[in-house]
Amino acid sequence: MQTLSLKKLFYFEKTPLNVVMAVTTVALLAAFMAGAVAYILHGHHVYNVTRQHPWGLLIAMYVFFVVSSTGLCIISSIGHVFGIPEFQQIGKRAIAGAIITISSGFAVIGLEIGHPMTMLIYNVLTPGLTSAIWWMGTLYGLYLTFICLEFFFLAIKVNHTFSKIFGICGLLVGLAAHSNLGAVFGFLVSRPSANGVFYPVYFILSAMITGCYLIFLMYGFRYKMNFPEKISVMLVKLSKILGMLLAVLIFFEAWKIITALYGDMPERAETILHAVKHPNFWFGELILGMLIPFMIILLSNAKAIKATVYASISGMVGIFFMRYDLVHDTLLYPMTTLKRSEYQVAPTFVEYFPSAAEFAIGFGGIGLALFLYYVADKVFNLDETNQH
Amino acid sequence: MARYGMALNYKNCINCRACESACKEENGVLLLPDHYRIWVGVKEAEGQFPNISIASQTYHPSQCQHCDNAPCQQVCPTNATYYGEGGMVMVDPTKCILCTYCINACPYDARYVDNRTNTVDKCTFCSDTRLAAGETTTACQATCPTKVRVFGDLDDPNSEISLLLANKEYRQVKEHLGTKPKLFYIL
Amino acid sequence: MKVEISRRRFLQGSVAMSIAGGVSMSSSSMMASAATPAKKVGNEDKKIATLCEMCVNKCAAIAHVRNGVVEKLDPNPLFPKSRNMLCARGNSGIQALYDPDRLKYPLIRDGEKGSGKFKRVSWDEAYAYINEKLTKILEEEKDNRSTVAFCAGEGMAEHTFKSFFTMFGSSHFLNHASLCLATTVSGYSLTIGGYGQADLDNAKYVIMAGANRAEAIVTPDTMDFFKRTTGRGAKLITVDPRFTNTAAKSDKWLAINVGTDLAFVLALTYVAIKEERYNKAFVENYFNGFEEYKNHILNNNYTPEWAEKITGIKAKDIYQVSRDFMANAPQAIYYQGRRTTWSKNDFQLRRAQAIFSALGGGVDVKGGICFGKSLPLVEHDAVAPMYAQAKSRIEQNEAAVVGGSGSWVAFRNMVLENRSPYPIRALFNYKHNPMQNMPNNAKTAEFLKKLDLVVTIDTMPSDTVMLSDVILPECTYLERTDPVVSYGGIEPSIAQRNKVVDPMFESKPVMEIMRGLSAVLSKPLFEITKKYDEDVQSAIEEDGEEKVYADFDLTKPFEHDQAELNVHAVEKYEGAADILKEKGVFYPNMNEYFKKISVNEYEYYPEAKRAYSVKNNKFATPSGKIECSVPALAKKGIDAMPVWKSEYEMAIPSGKFRFITGRHAQFTQSGTANNRMLLNLVPQNYAWINKRVAEKLGIKFGDKLEVSSKIGKTTIKAYPTEKIGPDTLFFVHGFGVYSTALSLGYNNGGNDAAIIEDGIEPMHGSTCLHDTIVEIRKV
Ligand SMILES: Nc1nc2c(c(=O)[nH]1)N[C@H]1C(S)=C(S)[C@@H](COP(=O)(O)OP(=O)(O)OC[C@H]3O[C@@H](n4cnc5c(=O)[nH]c(N)nc54)[C@H](O)[C@@H]3O)O[C@H]1N2
Ligand SMILES: Nc1nc2c(c(=O)[nH]1)N[C@H]1C(S)=C(S)[C@@H](COP(=O)(O)OP(=O)(O)OC[C@H]3O[C@@H](n4cnc5c(=O)[nH]c(N)nc54)[C@H](O)[C@@H]3O)O[C@H]1N2
Ligand code: SF4
Ligand code: SF4
Ligand code: SF4
Ligand code: SF4
Ligand code: SF4
Ligand SMILES: [Mo]
Repeated sequence: MQTLSLKKLFYFEKTPLNVVMAVTTVALLAAFMAGAVAYILHGHHVYNVTRQHPWGLLIAMYVFFVVSSTGLCIISSIGHVFGIPEFQQIGKRAIAGAIITISSGFAVIGLEIGHPMTMLIYNVLTPGLTSAIWWMGTLYGLYLTFICLEFFFLAIKVNHTFSKIFGICGLLVGLAAHSNLGAVFGFLVSRPSANGVFYPVYFILSAMITGCYLIFLMYGFRYKMNFPEKISVMLVKLSKILGMLLAVLIFFEAWKIITALYGDMPERAETILHAVKHPNFWFGELILGMLIPFMIILLSNAKAIKATVYASISGMVGIFFMRYDLVHDTLLYPMTTLKRSEYQVAPTFVEYFPSAAEFAIGFGGIGLALFLYYVADKVFNLDETNQH
Repeated sequence: MARYGMALNYKNCINCRACESACKEENGVLLLPDHYRIWVGVKEAEGQFPNISIASQTYHPSQCQHCDNAPCQQVCPTNATYYGEGGMVMVDPTKCILCTYCINACPYDARYVDNRTNTVDKCTFCSDTRLAAGETTTACQATCPTKVRVFGDLDDPNSEISLLLANKEYRQVKEHLGTKPKLFYIL
Repeated sequence: MKVEISRRRFLQGSVAMSIAGGVSMSSSSMMASAATPAKKVGNEDKKIATLCEMCVNKCAAIAHVRNGVVEKLDPNPLFPKSRNMLCARGNSGIQALYDPDRLKYPLIRDGEKGSGKFKRVSWDEAYAYINEKLTKILEEEKDNRSTVAFCAGEGMAEHTFKSFFTMFGSSHFLNHASLCLATTVSGYSLTIGGYGQADLDNAKYVIMAGANRAEAIVTPDTMDFFKRTTGRGAKLITVDPRFTNTAAKSDKWLAINVGTDLAFVLALTYVAIKEERYNKAFVENYFNGFEEYKNHILNNNYTPEWAEKITGIKAKDIYQVSRDFMANAPQAIYYQGRRTTWSKNDFQLRRAQAIFSALGGGVDVKGGICFGKSLPLVEHDAVAPMYAQAKSRIEQNEAAVVGGSGSWVAFRNMVLENRSPYPIRALFNYKHNPMQNMPNNAKTAEFLKKLDLVVTIDTMPSDTVMLSDVILPECTYLERTDPVVSYGGIEPSIAQRNKVVDPMFESKPVMEIMRGLSAVLSKPLFEITKKYDEDVQSAIEEDGEEKVYADFDLTKPFEHDQAELNVHAVEKYEGAADILKEKGVFYPNMNEYFKKISVNEYEYYPEAKRAYSVKNNKFATPSGKIECSVPALAKKGIDAMPVWKSEYEMAIPSGKFRFITGRHAQFTQSGTANNRMLLNLVPQNYAWINKRVAEKLGIKFGDKLEVSSKIGKTTIKAYPTEKIGPDTLFFVHGFGVYSTALSLGYNNGGNDAAIIEDGIEPMHGSTCLHDTIVEIRKV
């Protein structure tokens, strides 16, 4: 850790990219604050969630962040938990990223949960042990503790044994937490399109992909696209892993869609058909999130690292759509299809579009993450220190 | 112990919505969008004028099913949703964290967020407002012009509802989900 | 000598009037009504038995009051008429009580009429103002009391207001009858001797034509019937141009062309007679003039094939319905209907229905149309004064029989068009909203503006209130004890509205308003009479002023407290007064008869005690039989027997629509347009338009339409549906309020009074609400 003056903290090289990032970060942070204030003043009214669509962008962004966190944790573990040498170097940066993204996620969900204080009390006093949210929340709490300790022993009071122990704990708990997040959706017997084993597994898979994208982005930014040899070697390997994961994901998604459509099971088939026809899916998820990165990796034989960095931007936008659609598609089909009053049209697919406050808080969370990352990068040395 | 349920002679229903207004007055449900514990689903007539299929237009009085195996209860992280006396599925507002997970989990759209308490609310079978005061019917049952609802103890073999269910055919909604709903639609 | 004669004339002319506490509402005298103020009931936490007044039915309710606040209205199971129910509107009565827009203080107009500007005054100031205006008018009109008109909506205290009218001595009383049910009540009465009560609890076959019992709730019909429809005991044939909620419960829905029901009924009759399926024994014994009617029907060839072309109903359906009806008779009913102000042929239609129904023998029998018993109240007659200068009704010759409730439209139009033989200068209006309830509201507005004095007693700032000069706020029904009422029928009972909470603000029950007003008016008006009425002058000479004035004392009917009057009215039934106060409902042997059968069912009378058959085959008609022909009417230009005339067929130009109006289960006419609860259930009315027609015109659900007729226009959202035919347009009555003081009702939805033309039918001068052609335009 370095001692830092405030002045030093806020000093950075004024390259155009840096300035753009700084402005973006500040703008997003301001949006987050504005959204938070609006929520504190008016409560859930400032959100566009309804009885028929009770979850919205904030849940999607929460998932986005915790998936990022878990992904970074998993990818970092390749090096310092499983001991693959090239990946050792990403440990600190990845774990810092994991801590930052999950904290941002908590900040966002804190503004979605109506009564966070009540949650802290009754999660402990009257735990709902059959609730995937309870397990997910509790395990993520534990996970955060572990990865903080891991980071402590990686970057502050370096102790390889402890960092490894806490790393393993963090990884295991993280995986458990994350698959439970999948189960939050997978357990919904009311929602045939989400119900089942798909989401818990898919979450782990897509977390790993997210982790890869983020590593590419972090390193691309860190090295301004001029990668030292060691980094290049690592990124090429990572790229191969990413390519493979994407292939699996595409395969996995394809079968999910085919099984959902097959046999025309009433609610499920309609929902999935509606979802895949939407540009959010075919453009957002499929093209941006999967095909562009996959094609670049495939065509360059995983060698085009710079292109992969750019592809990761596309990938992360795609990941956002995956998270958003995950929530929206789950809630697409109305639970009652009859109208409740003569002068209505019978409900069809439930509509939802996030409100300004939801956008502000949801995307503002990214500003929070960027800001924390900036600070972490200043305060800690996130590059490899040859302490061995 | 009693296990309350409701049988609905839904063919009697004329969609007058007395039950809705009675529930709102009885339970102080705010007059705001999305705020309702009970509703009547309308299945629109099919066919072209004047050849409308008469049987196609039906009315489906609905409310919380007080599932014996309630998804809303299972998913609640703080046990704010619990099985109350008589098997009623209830929400304790002091424990509700407004995660709205239960609203997603309920297959029947029976839950909503009460703007006043900022917690989740739903049909209670009037247990707090009426049964606790010694009444034996719910507000929606009592007020109904065509007497659609029969509320009572399913565990008592001699209760009116038990006898009715023993003697009539009925159907339940989304039974296949394993929720074990306690609303019975008499055919 | 002269004096004596005059005095005799004077006394003979006196109108006997009942100022008893209550009214008998036998099922055949639906237009009757009652007298008077309220005693304070405490405000502790309690349950008070009362009666709903959100619509005409008066269901029994139990109000739960905590700390002086009405928290809940529950149904009261004791009342046979309401069978332990409250509908959506009944439940929402609390919102009427606590409506922030309700009238709170007496107001006097303070600006142009219609400007909506009023100033708050005290009750005394309001009375003084009325007195000043009224004495001026009567002075100028030389005590012609008929220059002052009175109108009232149906209600338990309507009779109280009517007592004031009677004492006042005008010829002009107007109420809902000519806008609602006059034709069917008289059609059935003149034919079978009463309007009766359809025994829907026991009928096996019912034709409901233009009666929408699932949405237009009438007790106990609605409650009894829909437990037995859809294959559970009663067959229902619904005849309606719209597929209503009632149609959805029927075995057959016949989509009829608007205004052609008479042809349908004549064809049903043709089949029954031609195929000799009618109840021969019954017809033989109890019909008067059957042969004539038979020949009339057969000779005119009112065949189903003929009717098919007019009504749009398939001949084979008509055969079928007629045969099935007769096969089920006498447990078969051609339902009388209620709001029958449709078209020019309405009275004849109701006559034809009554005859057809009677052909099956289903009159005064279980499962048919029953007359029931009534439980008489103690009434005593008081003498109402007769004013020599009061002239007769202005619109009495506008239709064949203009009864005691007048022809609203004819009356209004004569005044407006200066066709009145003498000026009409003032209007007292109680619980009635002519701006909405009468077609062509532009004319009604002009009419109201033309009058020198319009006094309206209402609870809400209605459109009519906004065009009044003096506004007197009545308290809502939950804040007053009203006259006890006796309800005749198969299971007769007496019911009483007990005050639930004290009147809010400065509102008062109409009894107290009348007491205050009459105290101020009585003497000054008598002074005018003294001046212009020679008989009165002579009488005074003879008997002294004090004695004569006693007969002219307007305050008399309002002297007593309403609760006291109610006690008196039921004094011949032991213990009734106390039971009514406590339980709201009374009938002899109630303790013994009333039984709870199950959680939902109650028995009021044992089967053997129900008054299914009471007439002993002597019907209350001139001949004591079912009257096929009414030659007396012919003298007044009304056909003695129902005849179909080609003028009844109304061509609908292509691209246009015939407009029809009606009810909605969550609203009552124009009175609930501002009710928060009900608007929460249904935010506004929509125009029903055939889906395919709408598609062709590019109209989608919720698009705004301008609906216009010859006389006006209104805007409303579209509801494309296959439940209505391509040439018909419908929307629910009572919306699109003009009064800006109704914050929720104002400009909310479409206003049918703005577009319906104001034709009347020839029998009673009832309005023809379904004779308007409209066009639409997307806006
Ligand atoms: N276009 C069209 N016109 C129609 C009809 C239709 O369907 N379409 N229907 C016709 C029929 S059947 C009828 S019966 C008539 C009804 O016509 P109205 O007799 O005018 O009845 P409402 O329209 O209900 O208006 C009742 C008025 O009484 C007021 N009111 C309510 N409660 C009280 C009270 O306790 N005290 C006092 N003083 N005032 C009160 C309300 O605020 C309202 O202004 O309309 C007829 N006119
Ligand atoms: N919920 C509710 N209940 C009420 C009232 C209310 O306002 N709201 N008002 C009460 C009063 S005052 C009355 S008078 C009654 C009215 O009770 P109803 O007379 O039963 O009701 P409406 O809706 O006025 O008209 C009945 C039906 O006539 C149909 N119709 C129109 N034209 C024709 C035609 O040419 N032929 C045939 N066969 N049908 C036609 C309309 O589509 C409508 O469905 O309801 C009473 N009950
Ligand atoms: S009160 Fe009864 S008839 Fe009316 S809508 Fe409710 S269930 Fe149906
Ligand atoms: S209907 Fe819904 S809210 Fe009610 S118990 Fe079942 S799952 Fe829970
Ligand atoms: S919203 Fe409340 S009741 Fe529902 S699951 Fe969450 S804590 Fe439980
Ligand atoms: S049982 Fe009570 S709480 Fe439930 S819907 Fe009926 S009135 Fe409402
Ligand atoms: S039918 Fe409804 S509005 Fe009319 S009196 Fe009965 S409860 Fe009241
Ligand atoms: Mo009426």
